[in-house]
Amino acid sequence: MQTEATPAQADVSELELVRQCQTGSAEAFDELVTRYRTRVFAMIYNMVHNEQDAWDLAQDSFVKAWRSIKRFRGRSSFYTWIYRIVMNVTIDWLRKKQIKGAGLEFDEAIQLTQIDPASRTAPKADPLPHARMERSEIRARIDEAIKQLSPDHRAVILMKEIEEMQYHEIAETLGCSIGTVMSRLFYARRKLQSLLRDVYEGV
Amino acid sequence: MKAFEQKWTAWLDGQLCGKELAEFEASLSDKAAAEADKREVKELGALLKQHLSVDVLTNEEFFSHQLRERIRCEGQAKDRHAARSPWWSIRGLALSGATALAIFAIYAVVVMREKSPSERSEYLTQILNARVDPAVSPNATISMFETKKDKVTVLWVEGLQSLPADYAAK
Repeated sequence: MQTEATPAQADVSELELVRQCQTGSAEAFDELVTRYRTRVFAMIYNMVHNEQDAWDLAQDSFVKAWRSIKRFRGRSSFYTWIYRIVMNVTIDWLRKKQIKGAGLEFDEAIQLTQIDPASRTAPKADPLPHARMERSEIRARIDEAIKQLSPDHRAVILMKEIEEMQYHEIAETLGCSIGTVMSRLFYARRKLQSLLRDVYEGV
Repeated sequence: MKAFEQKWTAWLDGQLCGKELAEFEASLSDKAAAEADKREVKELGALLKQHLSVDVLTNEEFFSHQLRERIRCEGQAKDRHAARSPWWSIRGLALSGATALAIFAIYAVVVMREKSPSERSEYLTQILNARVDPAVSPNATISMFETKKDKVTVLWVEGLQSLPADYAAK
């Protein structure tokens, strides 16, 4: 699994920060938020494909983490622990949204393709317009494909391919067995292969 | 026992080894096609990694500021709620009731148990006293001794002039 700080240093100070949080230090929690806000936001964004929703869900996840930080026993890394909260919040939200109406996400995808992706995915080097356009089109295709996966399948594929988490870490985060993780990964990959084959073969 | 899709996934991710790997690869009917699929999955993974690992959080400082404010407001609301809560709230009442019940139980078990039963049976002694008429037998004394261990009760009667007509010891 990736970490933003060097693992050894991060682990020691992270535990210390968690201990301080458990005594009520909001400053220590702020430091933890600073470390993980980008990754948490990116993960949620890849799940929900809407910047405002991702922002709100990331905020909700951190608030929930603050409320329950006293229950953190340090059996897993802090990031795995907060990831579990993030996934619960996001998957619950996606399920509720799916129940409310299936047509909504398609409309949002159209909006994203027309307005947003170029600015969001533009690399800092500012590539040529056609390259930027191509990137935004690919991004839109990927987002559209991921939207066709169930919330559980989305979570598994993103944790494996983007966060490079191990099976047991994914299982721990989602509260399921390793076998279930492998099965979900199998079906998620099959689905994405069928939807994105022309994209990755073209690249 | 792993299902096929679990073994397949583990094989794609290089998680099979030793005997399990050999058995799985031997069970593949078309190994060339499987290897091609493995390459395809790696390409898919690379594509996702390349396009989804972008830095999308703008206004990071504002994000933290907003979060700090939410946590601060929540803390204040909690404090206000705690200050407003009367001592006789439902939780308080339930706690008081449970405490009272616990104290009663302790009293019943510890204090009342300490009162050892009297050596004589009060009930039987009362009956006997009620049957002795001081006018008929003014010097009568009746005593009872009981040995619980041997299950023996001795009734010692002295100075009794006559027995009442309706006397019936049961």
